[in-house]
Amino acid sequence: MSEGLSRRSFIKLAATAGAAAALPGCEPAARKIIPYVVPDENVIPGVPTFYATTCNECRAGCGIVAKVREGRVIKLEGNPADPISQGSICARGQAALQGLYNPDRLATPMTRRADGSLQEISWEEAIHQFNARLQSAAQSGKNRIAFIGSSQGPALDNITRLWLQTWGSERLVFWERIGEEAARAAAQACFGRRDLPIYRFDLAEAIVSFGADFLETWGSPVEYARQYAEFRRPKLRNGTLSIGKCAYISPRLGTTGARADRWVQAYPGTEGLVAMGVLNAIVNQGWFARDTEIDLGALKEFVSGYDPHSVSEAAGIPVEVVTSLASWLGQSNSALAVAGGDDLQTYIAAYLLNAVTGNLGRTLVFLEDSPPEALTPPQDAAEVVQSIHDGQVDVAIVAGGANPAYSMPAAWNVAAALKRVPFLIWMGEVPDDSAQAAHLLIPTHHPLETWRDSHPRAGVHQVGQPVMQPVFDSRPLHDILIQSAHLAGGTAGQQIPWENSADAVNAAWQQLQSKLAPDTNPTEFWSQALRTGGAYQEAQARKVTLDQAILRRKLQFRSAAPENLMLAAFPHIFLYDGRGADKPWLQEIPEPVTQIVWDTWIEMHPETARQIGLKQNYDTRYLYAGINVVEVSTPNGSFEAAVHITPLVRPGVLAVPIGQGHSAYGRYAKDRGVNLWAFLPEASRSVPVQVRLTEKRYMLTTPLGNSDMMGRSVIEAMSLEELTAGKQPEVEREAQEEMPSGPYEMYDPIRYPGYKWGMTIDVNACTGCSACVAACYAENNLAIVGKERVQEGHIMSWLRIERFIPSPEEAHKAPNLYLAPILCQHCDHAPCEPVCPVFASVHTREGLNAQIYNRCIGTRFCENNCPYKVRRFNWFAPEWPEPMHLQLNPDVTVRGAGVMEKCTFCIQRITAAEIDARTEGRELKDGEVITACAQACPTRAITFGNLNDHNSAMVKRRVENKPRAYTMLPQLNALPQITYLRSIYHTTENL
Amino acid sequence: MAAAVETDLQPRYIDVDRQVQRAMAPGGLTYWLWVLFCAFLTALGIGFWTNQVYKGLGVTGLTEPTMWAPYITNFVFWVGIAHSGTLISAILFLFRTRWRTAIYRCAETMTVFAVATAGLFPLIHLGRLWFFYFVVPYPNERYLQPDFRSPLVWDFFAIGTYLTISTVFLFTGLIPDCANAREVATGWRKTLYSIFSFGWQGTDRQWRNFQMVYLLLAGFATPLVLSVHSVVSWDFAMTQLPGWHSTIFAPYFVAGAIFSGCALVLTLIIPIRKFWRLEDVVTIWHLDNLAKIVLFTSLIITYSYSVESFMVWYSQDPLELATFHQRYFGPQGYFFWIMVVCNCVIPLLLFSPRVRTNTVWLFIISIFVNIGMWLERFVIIAGSLATNTMPSQWRFYTPHVTEIVITAASFGWFLMNFSLFAKFMPIVSMTEMKEGISWLRQAVRTRYPYRKAA
Repeated sequence: MSEGLSRRSFIKLAATAGAAAALPGCEPAARKIIPYVVPDENVIPGVPTFYATTCNECRAGCGIVAKVREGRVIKLEGNPADPISQGSICARGQAALQGLYNPDRLATPMTRRADGSLQEISWEEAIHQFNARLQSAAQSGKNRIAFIGSSQGPALDNITRLWLQTWGSERLVFWERIGEEAARAAAQACFGRRDLPIYRFDLAEAIVSFGADFLETWGSPVEYARQYAEFRRPKLRNGTLSIGKCAYISPRLGTTGARADRWVQAYPGTEGLVAMGVLNAIVNQGWFARDTEIDLGALKEFVSGYDPHSVSEAAGIPVEVVTSLASWLGQSNSALAVAGGDDLQTYIAAYLLNAVTGNLGRTLVFLEDSPPEALTPPQDAAEVVQSIHDGQVDVAIVAGGANPAYSMPAAWNVAAALKRVPFLIWMGEVPDDSAQAAHLLIPTHHPLETWRDSHPRAGVHQVGQPVMQPVFDSRPLHDILIQSAHLAGGTAGQQIPWENSADAVNAAWQQLQSKLAPDTNPTEFWSQALRTGGAYQEAQARKVTLDQAILRRKLQFRSAAPENLMLAAFPHIFLYDGRGADKPWLQEIPEPVTQIVWDTWIEMHPETARQIGLKQNYDTRYLYAGINVVEVSTPNGSFEAAVHITPLVRPGVLAVPIGQGHSAYGRYAKDRGVNLWAFLPEASRSVPVQVRLTEKRYMLTTPLGNSDMMGRSVIEAMSLEELTAGKQPEVEREAQEEMPSGPYEMYDPIRYPGYKWGMTIDVNACTGCSACVAACYAENNLAIVGKERVQEGHIMSWLRIERFIPSPEEAHKAPNLYLAPILCQHCDHAPCEPVCPVFASVHTREGLNAQIYNRCIGTRFCENNCPYKVRRFNWFAPEWPEPMHLQLNPDVTVRGAGVMEKCTFCIQRITAAEIDARTEGRELKDGEVITACAQACPTRAITFGNLNDHNSAMVKRRVENKPRAYTMLPQLNALPQITYLRSIYHTTENL
Repeated sequence: MAAAVETDLQPRYIDVDRQVQRAMAPGGLTYWLWVLFCAFLTALGIGFWTNQVYKGLGVTGLTEPTMWAPYITNFVFWVGIAHSGTLISAILFLFRTRWRTAIYRCAETMTVFAVATAGLFPLIHLGRLWFFYFVVPYPNERYLQPDFRSPLVWDFFAIGTYLTISTVFLFTGLIPDCANAREVATGWRKTLYSIFSFGWQGTDRQWRNFQMVYLLLAGFATPLVLSVHSVVSWDFAMTQLPGWHSTIFAPYFVAGAIFSGCALVLTLIIPIRKFWRLEDVVTIWHLDNLAKIVLFTSLIITYSYSVESFMVWYSQDPLELATFHQRYFGPQGYFFWIMVVCNCVIPLLLFSPRVRTNTVWLFIISIFVNIGMWLERFVIIAGSLATNTMPSQWRFYTPHVTEIVITAASFGWFLMNFSLFAKFMPIVSMTEMKEGISWLRQAVRTRYPYRKAA
């Protein structure tokens, strides 16, 4: 992390020609090569600067570090000092850069002409219109202005609130479709406070997730993935080697289900019911914790209607599952039940399960001083929308990427409301669905260009600083608001004493300092916060007790299995609620479970497909992921999408990802797929549907060929018993039986006197989240090719998450899904090397299998001979629409058409560290070089290091886990430098 | 063609001269339309190639992991075609086989142009054509040399050697015939033939030297018949890809090369013989003998397919088994079965002497053999790549218009060159025909009595 970079020097830095040189949107003259006639002492060309800031891509609040080269940010990484991210961020966080550099960001303020077209206007004109409209609205009465935005942290939200007050309005919405309402309301009902608890997956021995996809989008995925890896790490519990047991109740497998032991395919919407059935079994078996102060009689009465039999019937699952989940939760030393979705009752049931089993305060913890609620509850948001419908609003402002027209419930009919409002102002980055009706469009800064702060949970205060000069001619949203408030004047206006949002954040932190660390020097506190990304303190757990009144509450669950087919929408792991759709990395990285890119698809079980008359059998060998289009009719209208036939979804359920279907939102998102929010009810993600097979054909695209591993040693797993016995799993491959035990060579092995780089990848820790893939795209300037060319087989990912579906025969002794990162194995006997006629593929003295782009003539022989198929060919010259090229890592060559490329083990990072070490006259230390993928991995599944150093963490990891270690396709004797550690599963008999 | 009239079964020396010189007479409209058509195909191919170089290889249907498909198939196909020419002109010469005399010039011409066509494909398939010279060991300031471990470098030398030797061989054999043509030609043609007769006077010394050089060149060329296609086969056999990694490849490829080459000689010589009325010179006896080679090599090929499959089954290597299962029954399995029918079943008709002496049948069978042999290379190359060691990376090749046009253009280019050469140069060796004329008379008379009726 950067040392000693104060705000002052940052501004100085930002003002230099050097920083401005890389920025389009400034005057063209400054866009030339960096002159450095007068060198700036803060910018050393070639040496990156790091700024700590916070990620704004979801509500988790990961602290991040931005790597800045010559005035432009080129990479985001987790902030190691931050307790939430602990140095990792997810794929969505990585892709925030593509939001910053998005070529479709609004470049200038625009106004809409009478004919509907947009016209550029000057900033003065835009600000004038903005304020004039507010003024006239404020004059015509109170509450004539509505603001729909997204929460941007306490300091900025405060500005928004005060600003709106100065204009005499209270119609304020901080909107988030995947919100917290159910969790907060359930906490209110159960424990009397609307706080969000924190979860400790790592401390549990058993986890039951009632629809919470905590490894994908639910809550704080980076943190939970890290905890989950710890939970699944084999360790001694009560004297025996064990891993945590996890069940995932959801109609769709997902990566969470893929990593769980048990995938309980309940009907969508019955997760809460199953939880009540489990609670019933726990109470009746007497597995509840004795020390809780729960009124047992009331509890028995409360659960009486949910005997496992009727519950399992309604949820469409075997009854043994309910009872065995009850024993998991009730009989483990510590367990955790989590609820997902938008259903209040599921959350209540899950909270109750934790309380009854005595895990409240252990794995589910409420904290003192939890941050105040930032989001507007949906019913309040609905009121504001209704007031717009009713004509009570003269000026509506949509800001901060809230995109209500896209994500607000269909029943609210927000698009019509926004059309109705006399003057709609849209303020944001990439004009989205909500901007289409806007009369005035104002470009605002990306969060990475803005001063912010963030307070995701008790004890974690983060400060967000701008990491570079604005890319476009935009302004900070809250600066505009502050100026506007000052203009409005009056008493309320004086409540905003700050000149701009930077001052406001600074002022908020001075307050914070007086609270958190009154003894320290305020300046020191502030610069310390900038350096470490915030102020972090241990939060006190708050003792909460169950409100017994909850036990008298009557919960309403559906009591019978649905008659219709059900549609279960799920947030796409990368696109989330739709905000990721404008970022091509997130579109092009295959969704880990289906491996589909750039689309909306309908996951359908082969049985269901047969029922609707779809003849195409489930066959893994076809090169498209699906082709038949069905029409799905929901109560809110119908849509068409192509079917992906997969066993990874419950029969009778159609699983459809949320996130596509934007009518605007940039070239990457526009007119692609279906917006599921438009068809879902307000507080549920499932809906009964009717499906009709159409004659239409639409190809779903995947880079994946065969989903069947065909018994090859690609991704391996072993049962817990095998691990305990310390024996390798039985190998069914006959060809391997006659393998000599050690490597056999005709020639003397080559010695690598200095460093020899290698990697250990723990498949057991990998959740398939693809953060490594996104990091690789960002670090190594990988090109985006688009859907059509992925279909052609032109995807450029050096690192891919490979997914295999266990065959039904082996399902009882296999994980639910095989998932692992596959990258260049840097083989000692690299088959790609001797076939290259021109020495473009060569071995370095540090054991790397290098590719020399200048030397490559494009015979592609190397890829033909690569057993792991990790090489990528530049079929065309890669293109980056401006200003996306600013993100390119200057340390990595941009490859031209006709050359082969592949994983380099981030050789630029190795070289940089080696140069540093040489300058300082020392050897490299272990952990000094870390590849982008290893750095990004939330579960630390990837360890990189020096094979010659037997004390390196990488070597130790493979030695300490010897029974789990294997290399891919060993019979080829390519001697890969990557050792994988087998994933561990519970055999069905042992669950 | 079936009613080929065997007018004169006793050609005299002067008839040989007359008939061959008649074939060299200025071409008619049909001839030039044909050449123009071939030239058009060639030009079209050049256009598509230019586009491919300009935009990148992405315009083709090549895909990850099927990195080689039609271009390398074409390369192997054309190199294979070349081999039978050398077999006929060099090996059969050394064995003093009499029936080669009428067809060897045609076969040798085919060799030179087939190699010239084949040589284009390693260039066409390059990602960065403009750096092709990196495979050439030329002195440079960076001391960079090609990697001699790479079969592609071996290829470069094998093809280079082969093109050189076969060109020299062809033009050496042409010397006395060009001198012959020079005597009757006028105008620029006379100049042309004068150049290619290299001052031939027909003296005893020249004849003696000619014979010796020809014999030596035949000796040089003979090992190339075996080595060049073995080297080509090592492009595949030296890798570890299931379906490629097989020790049988070298002999199997050589046999296949002879097979397809002899078939193409048939394809070429039958129309030439018909249209340029060379029936008396290129007799049914010659065709019959060629057909026997085709039949024999077809049997070798069938055996090779069987052994290849047997070894896969016998090894029980799961990787190989999977690849071969896909080869037979996978999404593109029909290519394999078409290939089997073309290469193993249809040539069995040649067991019948009636088929062997019927030019229409021969022509049709030769076309099928060439389709089959093209598919053989395609099945091996594209099919094995598509079903590689990583099941997740399986992806089959589907052609795009660029490769189809360039493949068609390779035929256009070859046929254009061949047609022009055949028109302007003596396509049948007058010298050697005359040497063996008594043999020819006898052979035809004794072996094909039933043809006399015509």
